[in-house]
Formats: sequence, C-alpha cells, structure tokens
Amino acid sequence: MKRTLKWMGIAAAVILVAAYTVLSMMAGGPRDALLMVRYALPHMHRGVLKVGDAAPDARLVALDGETRFHLREHLSGRPLVLVFGSFT
Amino acid sequence: MGDVEKLYEDYKDHADFLTIYVREAHPTDEWQMKSNGKDKDDVCYAQPKTLEQRVAIANDFTKRFKYSVPFGIDEMNNAANDAYAAWPERLYILDENGRVSYKGGNGPFKYNPKEVRAWLTERYGEVEHPEANSASDKKS
Repeated sequence: MKRTLKWMGIAAAVILVAAYTVLSMMAGGPRDALLMVRYALPHMHRGVLKVGDAAPDARLVALDGETRFHLREHLSGRPLVLVFGSFT
Repeated sequence: MGDVEKLYEDYKDHADFLTIYVREAHPTDEWQMKSNGKDKDDVCYAQPKTLEQRVAIANDFTKRFKYSVPFGIDEMNNAANDAYAAWPERLYILDENGRVSYKGGNGPFKYNPKEVRAWLTERYGEVEHPEANSASDKKS
C-alpha cells in the first residue's frame, strides 16, 4: 500500500514537472509560464462570433483622443479587414 | 504589424482596413517580455488605467512605425475587445454586408496575416510587386 502511494506520488510529480516544462517552452521560460497563467490566460477567449454572424458594433476613440466613431461606420460596401492588437 | 501594413498598401483600393488598439498584451506591470526591454525593442508601458494613457500609447505606436492604416482605440470598457474576443491580437474580415467572413485565430500563435492575404487574393487577385519581380528576374 505504502509503495503504491509512493509510486503514485512520483508519477504525479513527473506529470506536473513535464506539464510545467511544456508550458515554459510555450511561454518562453519558467518565469513566463507563471506570468502567462496569471495574466494572459484569463484574457484569452475564443469568443462566440462565428463566420456568417452580423459583426457587432462598438464605439471607438480616434487618435486625437476626443473624436468618437463606430466600428460599423467603416463599412462602406467593401470588405473590411479588422486588425486588433496592442503595442507590446 | 508590418505584414498588415503591406496588406493595406496592396489591397486598400479594394477593401477597407481598420486597426483597433486594445488593452496591452505585455505591459511592464503584467507579463512583460524580455524582448520588450529597454535594451531591445524598448516598448515599456504599464497597462493603461485611463483613456488618456491608452491614447498616448496608441500615438507612440503610430508615430514610431509611421503606421498608416486607419486607427481606432477601444474604450476603457473594452467593448470592442470583448465583442470580438480580440486580445491579445486577432484578425477579422467583414464582408460587404457587415457579416463575419473570416475570423482569425488568437494571437500570437494563430495570428496569421497570410490567411487574410489569401482571402483578398482569392477575390481580387495577386498584387504585382514590380520591384520584387525584377529582383527575382535577376536571380533567374
């Protein structure tokens, strides 16, 4: 019984270390793995939008920081490519 | 964003483009990337807490890269980001009727401007690059 528990513990530890190693490789380093779990995963969503859905509208701010416009105002009878991103 | 600028230059006569600046991906107070450090790319910003801060970073970005693609900034309620599940980066193409025609994957791993180019190429054909062509002619 004791031996079984010991081996189960060892197996669990090996799996944990392997998972953390894979995560570290994906994120770029051991520290990055922690930060990814803490800061990135909560914000990453697949979303509910599907191809064929009407594009949701949203109010946006122009670079002057004052002017407001709506995303769908940019639909002018041509396809509209949306590029979401940030600086960092 | 270099790939996107090239797409814009190539296809702006056929399609409209809109960049939407959303919450930062790797600010100094969250998961900062080594490559963003002072000694490398030098993009060190804390996550904006106010719209003024967000607008300021967006302006730094467009100035540094002389970024010419039409630009909008998500409000602090992150309405656009939430509606499009955008963070940290994502590409979409809306068709003429305002429906989602292409939904790109989550960045950074599944963010793929090549897929947008393929969509545009299929509809409007390949864009000729005189300089690139002459360069390849010389090689052959």
